[in-house]
Amino acid sequence: MMCPPSILRVRVHNQRWHFGLWLPLFLIWPFVLVFGLVLWPILLVSTAVFWGKGWGKLVLLGGPALLGLLCAMRGLNVEVKQPSEETLILVSFR
Amino acid sequence: MTDNQRRILEMLAAKKISVEEAERLLALTGQPTGGETGAFETAQVQKPKPKYLRVVVTPPKAENGSEARTGIVNVRVPLTLIRAGLKLRAFIPPDKADQVNEALRSKGLDFDVRNIRDEDLEQLVDALSDLEVEVSDEEGAKAVRVYVE
Repeated sequence: MMCPPSILRVRVHNQRWHFGLWLPLFLIWPFVLVFGLVLWPILLVSTAVFWGKGWGKLVLLGGPALLGLLCAMRGLNVEVKQPSEETLILVSFR
Repeated sequence: MTDNQRRILEMLAAKKISVEEAERLLALTGQPTGGETGAFETAQVQKPKPKYLRVVVTPPKAENGSEARTGIVNVRVPLTLIRAGLKLRAFIPPDKADQVNEALRSKGLDFDVRNIRDEDLEQLVDALSDLEVEVSDEEGAKAVRVYVE
């Protein structure tokens, strides 16, 4: 079982301004879990409604698939610098 | 280690057979007793599985040549993310899959996206472990590198 990323780090800076974000995602996951449990009955009803139209599978399994995608983002790191090295964009999931 | 090999080593430890006899018997069990072949096989088995797809773009060297080369793009994508993304194809509704097939056909790719199996995709991702793309500039310095680690 993969764990979702626990920290999101965003850093953007250029010559004029700096922006840095260090987001402790591990504090958000419990709330997301509770929210998901509350939404579960609504999801089941939506699945029954949309099943005939061919979207039921998407509604039912879309959540777990997105969660899997989110968990797989641990370790993703994107870093872009301008040649002058004055500008930096960094997005990192840990 | 098989039961036969263990039994031979036990007999050797109990001094019921000599070292030469043990060596001969071990050879007869069909397994190498050590040496280069065994080491090679161990190295093959212990090859670490790649975890990340890396894309690194380095800028051209400074004109005066004094500046050190610094990466301007450095991307690390977990292979698990690629696998998870590929699994999302299961959510393509049937009518949309037809549209995707039609678009692919117009580009000269004649296959059905619904026929892609999980095993094929796994093989595709596993095959990435041998991927290495290097684009060099005129001076021979590596400008773009795509590889897995």
